[in-house]
This record gives sequence, structure tokens and C-alpha cells, in this order.
Amino acid sequence: MEYLHSDIADTQQREKQHFHVLAVDDSLIERKLLERLLRESSCKVTCVDSGDKALEYLGLLDSQEIDRSTASSSFPQPSTQEGLKVNLIMTDYSMPGMSGYDLLKRVKGSSWKDIPVVVMSSENVPSRISMCMEEGAEEFLLKPVQLSDLKKQLQPHLLKLPVHPKIDITTTSNDNGNDRMIIDITMNNNQNVVVSKRKTMTPEPLERRPQMKGLAVI
Amino acid sequence: MDGVAQLQKQLVDFTDSLFQEGFLDEQFNQLQQLQDESNPDFVVEVVSLFFEDSERLLNELAKALEQKTIDFRKVDAHVHQFKGSSSSIGAQRVQKVCIAFRNYCEEQNIEGVKPWHRCLKCLQQVKLEYSLVKNKLETLFKIEKQLIAAGGSIPT
Repeated sequence: MEYLHSDIADTQQREKQHFHVLAVDDSLIERKLLERLLRESSCKVTCVDSGDKALEYLGLLDSQEIDRSTASSSFPQPSTQEGLKVNLIMTDYSMPGMSGYDLLKRVKGSSWKDIPVVVMSSENVPSRISMCMEEGAEEFLLKPVQLSDLKKQLQPHLLKLPVHPKIDITTTSNDNGNDRMIIDITMNNNQNVVVSKRKTMTPEPLERRPQMKGLAVI
Repeated sequence: MDGVAQLQKQLVDFTDSLFQEGFLDEQFNQLQQLQDESNPDFVVEVVSLFFEDSERLLNELAKALEQKTIDFRKVDAHVHQFKGSSSSIGAQRVQKVCIAFRNYCEEQNIEGVKPWHRCLKCLQQVKLEYSLVKNKLETLFKIEKQLIAAGGSIPT
């Protein structure tokens, strides 16, 4: 089958513009779920089953840093670091060997430190959550992760992309305490951003702080 | 058409009962919502992975509890995994007995007595709940198959 040169170039262009998430979880079921959730949120996904594999993928393994040319890898390693683009890392906390916290620390102490890292856990342990947040985690999500949480999480990041996929976002901004505005940002078929505002009386707090889903408010 | 309507009702009633009896929770709904034309077998795929994983974990647990000196950390790790996977597919009753299991394991050092026999009992409960939900889900998938074969579609 012949491809026109421009088709390939278009695909590569679109590849670059996709939001790429590196998902780390030792559970196959979790990886399958996360992958589905992320693709449903218009992301490109790479799944690995351990912190070590994640570091390998990012080119951060000690062996890779010492000698790139001879490091063996199961991944098609890009020849240069610049070729690899990861926009977000989502990692499980409890994993055998390297924990999500350890991975977080390694990433934050590396050339990938500006990449947001989201930590997920099935256990609601406040000290664990604050430990991760202090280490620079972007967010701490409780499992099972819901599609709505994920979309809310990705929303600000997807908006930063030069050309982003069709998304339907509803954000609330607090204008004067009583009137609440809802801003709908959608893309029409011509890839034009359509912004519209409407007022609503239903109070919806604007949550910019890390959400601690599932924590009881006493 | 009668056959399709009957199967649809059977499916809806059966699914409702699973939720009412606590076999499944909201997370299972989430799975169903992730199934669409591009991912037509998503639920069956995830649940099949769950079955495989669960059987592996049950074997590991049985082995761990047969040891002369039980490594409770290992037991706890397996139960933690089981709790996680059951929670991810919405198998609520399995998740609940896993939580109870972990609690018993944590009680181990009261008066220096390791409640091994209680752990064994917990394992039996997990096995039971797992086989119940496996049975229920297999029945659910069977009805869905029959419905589709009869020319119907799964009600959303």
C-alpha cells in the first residue's frame, strides 16, 4: 500500500501534538483500565509494569545514563532524548520493587522534573498523600480512577497543546460570589475553538487545590 | 421480537439483582460505559483478566498459608492485590471480604498468637465470594450473548 509523503508527515505532526501519558502500574487489569480511560480522554498512552521500566523508557536508568549506546532495552529507544515526548506520568503508589513515590522522586530529580506526575492509590492514607504532594506530585488520585476525574485532571494540560483534540469542558469561575459563570470550551469541526459563557445559579466550587477524592469531610 | 424483548428484560432484571445483592457496584457501570463500537468487548476482556488474575492469587494465597512459617507480609500483599483488582471491576463483595482478610492479618500479634486458622477461614470466604461473582458474571455474559444472537442489542 502506498502512502503519500504528506500523509506520513501529517501523522507524525499529529503524533507530536497528541498528549502522551506514561502509565505505570504492576497490575495488568489496572493498566488495561487506565489505557482505556486515557484513550477515551484523547491521549496517547504507553503502559509499563514497573518503576524500573518507566525509568528505562525515560532513559533514566543508571546504565543508560552511563553508556547509552550499549544499554539493552525492550523499547525502541529513540536515538536522542529530544525524540521522546512525555506530557504526563501516572503511577500507582504500591508496586513491588520501586514504589510510585520512589519513581516520583527519581523523576523530580532528573531532566524530566517538569513533567507532571500523578500518583494513584487504592488506599486513602493522608500521610502518604502529603508525602507525595511535598515531593512534587501534581495530584493524588484514589482508585478506582473515574473517567470524570481523569478528564478534569487532564483538562488544563490538554488546553496547552497547540492543536488539541475535540474536548468538551465546563469550567466554573467565581465572578462575584453570587453569580457563577460557566465557560464552555469546545472545538468545532474546523478545529476552531468556540468559547461561550453562560450564567448559572448552581454553586460549584472551583477546585484548583489538589483534590483528595474520597477523604471524608468531618 | 418477543424473544428479544424477553431476553432484554431477563438481562435488565438479572443485572439489577446483582447490584441489589451487592455483587456489583458502581465501578461495574463505569466499565460498561467504557464499552463502545471501538471497544465492543471491553467488559468481557477486563473481567476475563480479573478471573485469570484471581485464580493466580488464590493459588498463591493457598500456598502461602500452607507454609510452616507463614510470611504474613506476602499474604497481605496478595490480598491487597486481590482487593485492588476486585475494586477495579466493581466486585464489591469480593472486595469486602478482602478488606476483612487484611484486618485479620494485621491483628496477628495480639498476645503473640498468629491467627492462622482465621486466615484460612478468610481465604475460604474470599474463594466463596469470588466463585459466586464469577458465576454471576458468566451468566450475565451468557444472556448478553443470547440477546445479541437473537438480533437484539444490550440496553444501556
